[in-house]
Amino acid sequence: MGLQQSEVPVRENRLKSIIYYSGNAAALTDPQKADSFVHKERSYSQCSDCAQMCAGTITYFVRNAAVVVHSPMGCFANTPVNDTQFRNASLERGQDPDRVHVLCSNISENDTVYGGIRKLQKAVQECYDRFRPEAIFVHSSCAAGIVGDDIEDTAADMEKKLGVPVVPVYCEGFKSKIWSSGFDAAYHGILRKIVKPAEHRQKDLVNIFNFLGSDTFTPLLGKIGLRPNYLVPLASVETISHMSEAACSSQICETLGTYVTKELEDNYGVPKVKTPAPFGIEWTDNWLREIAGYTGKENIVEEVIRTEHERIRPQLEELRTVLKGKKVYIFAGDSYAHNVGSIVRDLGMELVGMTTLHHDMHSDSSETGKDTLAELVKLYGDIEHYTVCNKQPYQVKKIIEELRPDVMIVRHMNMTILGGKLGIPSLLEGETNISAGYDGVITTGKRIRNLMETRGILKTLKEYNQFPYSKWWTDQEDPFYFEKK
Amino acid sequence: MAELRQIAIYGKGGIGKSTTTQNLTAGLVKAGKKVMVVGCDPKADSTRLLLGGLAQKTVLDTLREEGEDIDLERIVKTGYGGTRCVESGGPESGVGCAGRGIITSIGLLESKGAYTDDLDYVFYDVLGDVVCGGFAMPIREGKAKEIYIVASGEMMALYAANNIAKGIKRYAGTGGVRIGGIICNSRNVDHERDLLRAFSKELGTKLLYFVPRDNIVQHAEIHKKTVIEYAPDSNQAKEYENLAQAVIENRDFTIPTPMTQDRLEEILVEYGLMDLADDYKI
Repeated sequence: MGLQQSEVPVRENRLKSIIYYSGNAAALTDPQKADSFVHKERSYSQCSDCAQMCAGTITYFVRNAAVVVHSPMGCFANTPVNDTQFRNASLERGQDPDRVHVLCSNISENDTVYGGIRKLQKAVQECYDRFRPEAIFVHSSCAAGIVGDDIEDTAADMEKKLGVPVVPVYCEGFKSKIWSSGFDAAYHGILRKIVKPAEHRQKDLVNIFNFLGSDTFTPLLGKIGLRPNYLVPLASVETISHMSEAACSSQICETLGTYVTKELEDNYGVPKVKTPAPFGIEWTDNWLREIAGYTGKENIVEEVIRTEHERIRPQLEELRTVLKGKKVYIFAGDSYAHNVGSIVRDLGMELVGMTTLHHDMHSDSSETGKDTLAELVKLYGDIEHYTVCNKQPYQVKKIIEELRPDVMIVRHMNMTILGGKLGIPSLLEGETNISAGYDGVITTGKRIRNLMETRGILKTLKEYNQFPYSKWWTDQEDPFYFEKK
Repeated sequence: MAELRQIAIYGKGGIGKSTTTQNLTAGLVKAGKKVMVVGCDPKADSTRLLLGGLAQKTVLDTLREEGEDIDLERIVKTGYGGTRCVESGGPESGVGCAGRGIITSIGLLESKGAYTDDLDYVFYDVLGDVVCGGFAMPIREGKAKEIYIVASGEMMALYAANNIAKGIKRYAGTGGVRIGGIICNSRNVDHERDLLRAFSKELGTKLLYFVPRDNIVQHAEIHKKTVIEYAPDSNQAKEYENLAQAVIENRDFTIPTPMTQDRLEEILVEYGLMDLADDYKI
């Protein structure tokens, strides 16, 4: 491994990630048993996602950069949505609205025969002429990967010609069943081609690897006199190039930031924050303490923590009286789901079940980092119904029907629809930053409280809803029937 | 009118597939048959002897330069005795995907109506091994139903032939493709005929024909001609006419039974190398 290689290995190989599991949470965190869980492909999948889309959630939103997607047009179909996201997220962050600068090389039948390099060169040139970007990302695709187009050399040539970084991102969808591998591919390219060695340290700057989200880390870190460096979406090429200058690196989700924070530590000496992300009170306490250690703020952090606990106590107690004992089910990516688990514990809710989209059996920094699931089990106790499932509504429906939660919290929009059809109020955790820190606990509590009011209409919706599944499947008890065959 | 027989010729690279196919084609022409030869090799040298040179523009070159709106005459040339000659061609060396190219070019031939009713035979001359799905195209989806493998008594030729048989077996269930036999293009290896017979039998087929080695083939190649055209009265011309007759009369089509590497080596030891110790000469 290392940044000299053109590609980072996919998660199946690097982190021994799995895409299905059904059991209790503690068993999955037992290091003695870790090697007994091996990645196996599914025998039946209803849906999937693509590493290229995950790479796009990072590269598309870099300010002053542009992207060439070297693919047939279909791989490019998400772009209009991304454009809207860029504009809205900029406003939410308090920045000027911007839009995506993306072109597709449009690989056609003939290009799969003759090779698509000439088209790629043309697209990169066109991209430069049109947008004058400070960096150009080149996304690979299944078609380009199978034909074996030499993106590496093309990017190097174009970089020389244009004088700006041309960054290959090897996010071919077929390579991995863990679409999060696309995050790693994007970060790998950024680390290789854009990040520069630190000229000086910015002692009050904390790298926060996140998605498009509002500015909630400025008030949180500001309490101990620090500043967040939001990466990579909505950051400029210039900002990204200086990420090596930060005092330490953290992320809003271990799965999102595992690779980049590890490599920043190994290659540029920027310490990775090992405790879980600041979601829920205790994790926020620990997070602030560790960061204070890297930034010389040990003398004030305990006072800040005490004051913050006092500040939110009245609201928290009020929310707890409403939410206490309410059964909640969480469906989100590994390991953002664990963050949400930490929050609902503070709200006094009963965690009846949790599903993550995949599970990394190892972390990129296994020796020093903390397993967020193990930390959650330590915090909350074991979660009896813990599953790993890469979306698959036909299975999740069964899981939810068995658990009968009062409310569910999901990270992906399509799953709120599933909750609705089952008559269960579903909170879309689409914007992660608002749930961070002490205020994030209160915000989440209020959102859940408001959401409970929708039970009536959802009950009606459930009565009129019909699922398309056969009687045979409906009668099957085990959601993971196909995986056990 | 007899049904069109579509035949694919496979075999190790350099074994003489193209030479054999073209001489066989000339033999069929002499027997009054109407033949089309489709070269499925990026080198585009499958029709050189029939056309009297490498002048032909390939399907993929034409497609690249002129687009899909092309007349059949642009890519199908008439060669020796009225044979129709097509070269699929391929991308430049080291880029793109030659296998995908074969899929594209056979698709184009079909859509342009190259397979006319007056044809008795279509030959696909395919490079080397069945390395990927593209090079299996001629035997997929019910195109060529008959396969001949060109081999010699050399170890690597038989190894390749066995691998090709695995590819044929894969498509035998759905596409109805069958092996028609092994054509030996002799390299004067010891006990070559017996070895090839034993090998063919183990493969569930037969040695269709043994083409002896004769330098006149090289002479004819230098003159860009098949032996039948270059030296019609030679022994070798007669051999190719006999080969053509063997193909015409062949009715034994089977699903091959590829062997393990161990078994293949056993056969080699048994036939090919049996007198090695006392027969070795430089």
